[in-house]
Amino acid sequence: MKLLQIKNLTIEVEGKKILNGLDLEIKSEEIHALLGPNASGKSTLAKVIMGFPPYKVLDGNILFKGKDIKKDKIEDRAKKGIALAFQNPPAVSGITLSQLLNKMSKKEEGIINEDIINRDLNVNLSGGEKKISELMQVFALKPKLLILDEIDSGLDIKKRQEMFKLISEIVKKNKMSVLIITHQGEILEYLKPDVINVIIDGKIMCQSNDSKKVLETIKKYGYVKCKNCKKL
Amino acid sequence: MSNARIAKSCKPDFLQIDNEIKNIAKKKEVVIMPSSEAWESLEWTKQYFKSKPKGGYFIWVKEQVDFPLSTCINIASGNIEQDLQNLMIVEKGIKAKANVLCASLKNNLSGTHKARGRLILKEGSSLQYNHVHKWGEKDNVMPDYEFILEKGSSLVYNYTNFFPPKNLEIKNKIICLDNSYSQLNFSVNGINSKIDINEEVVLEGKDSQNVSRLRLVGRKNSIINAYSSIIAKNKSKGHIECNSLMVDKESKIVSIPKLDCESRDAQLTHEASIGKVSEEQLNYLRSRGLTEKEAIDLVITGFLKI
Repeated sequence: MKLLQIKNLTIEVEGKKILNGLDLEIKSEEIHALLGPNASGKSTLAKVIMGFPPYKVLDGNILFKGKDIKKDKIEDRAKKGIALAFQNPPAVSGITLSQLLNKMSKKEEGIINEDIINRDLNVNLSGGEKKISELMQVFALKPKLLILDEIDSGLDIKKRQEMFKLISEIVKKNKMSVLIITHQGEILEYLKPDVINVIIDGKIMCQSNDSKKVLETIKKYGYVKCKNCKKL
Repeated sequence: MSNARIAKSCKPDFLQIDNEIKNIAKKKEVVIMPSSEAWESLEWTKQYFKSKPKGGYFIWVKEQVDFPLSTCINIASGNIEQDLQNLMIVEKGIKAKANVLCASLKNNLSGTHKARGRLILKEGSSLQYNHVHKWGEKDNVMPDYEFILEKGSSLVYNYTNFFPPKNLEIKNKIICLDNSYSQLNFSVNGINSKIDINEEVVLEGKDSQNVSRLRLVGRKNSIINAYSSIIAKNKSKGHIECNSLMVDKESKIVSIPKLDCESRDAQLTHEASIGKVSEEQLNYLRSRGLTEKEAIDLVITGFLKI
């Protein structure tokens, strides 16, 4: 079953095109990786799927479970089953993670960190603690589609590996589809994507089932070779 | 929790409903009586009252207490006018805590609550005064409090008002003598309200200190004027922090921190800010399934927490 279908999506911010005729299709329980150079549109795509302003849709469709969600509010998309773990979540003083989870009427799933749960939301947390907090929130939502935006950045090797194992277990157990936005390939060794996508200048330029080969190519030639990839 | 439920659940040492005193607890360590009775029976208290009191409490903490004192003054009927004079005296070296609730039991009673309070902290004593206001949207409320902090005493005054009346005029004056310390934490959520706050701290004594923190929220056509001043008359330290949040376009907040220094050895500082609710925070919370209103309420709750 097709869970997410993005067709010919063109997005503009302040007169500048960020996504340019982007196509992406994610099926149920499928794991996709999204790689690309800086400012290629990776995080923009995540925010557009979640419905964040100020991105203006010039053209194209975003279908979730077969229905167009372009006009849906952020919270409606969350309720339909889309969850985004932020790369840089904002701090909210005076509110603990526990209070937010209560407000969401959700219980944390799989990850419980007593130290973080009673501290103010993203206030004075280390990079790793922020990632744990994000995962506690998104897993509590039990989403159909989980978007992980650079969840592997800012963590040491040991913590990264522990986190990747945990994500892998919860994703499999809850039969989630996942879109992993990453700079590093390490997370892909644990989550083993079905499809690896390379985004350049706001467009998917390369799509492959062979993540190992794509990563090796990027490592060897950078993203230049992906630009000319004929696999699409 | 509704106002009526709060009143039911509260078993205060002093309970006044409308203009009738319903309960006064008997405590070995503390003298509690109506202010009017103190005026009649304790001659020396007259110096602290403006005139013969019509209502309100007299609390005299004579010995160390190991429980928090509590008072509850409610408006339960329509168009009631309360004219209170409250007097609390904490004797030398005593450490006390008071939970003070003033509330309307319904939202539409059109009540008037005037309260003049004097709190005397004797030498070396300390008081944590937790003052909670919870009013109906048609009430008029005018508290006017004066705190006198004698040598080496300390006061933590927490005032929270998340359910404001139609009109709120708060006056607070704190006089700090030698080596005394005061900390004021004010959180006011303006909802379709006209609010005037006038707070004055006088650092009268040598090495006295004060920290005042105000958190103000303007929602639904609220007009808030907040004046907060510190006057340093001696070698002392004082700091004012006024932070305000504007939730709608129709509200208006004027925040004026004032430092008045009459001593070269005093050190006074202030910071003030007025801003809107961060869209980044709201979008983040909405991505967790909260509606925009729920997200705003949560951000405000966090902001008002000092």
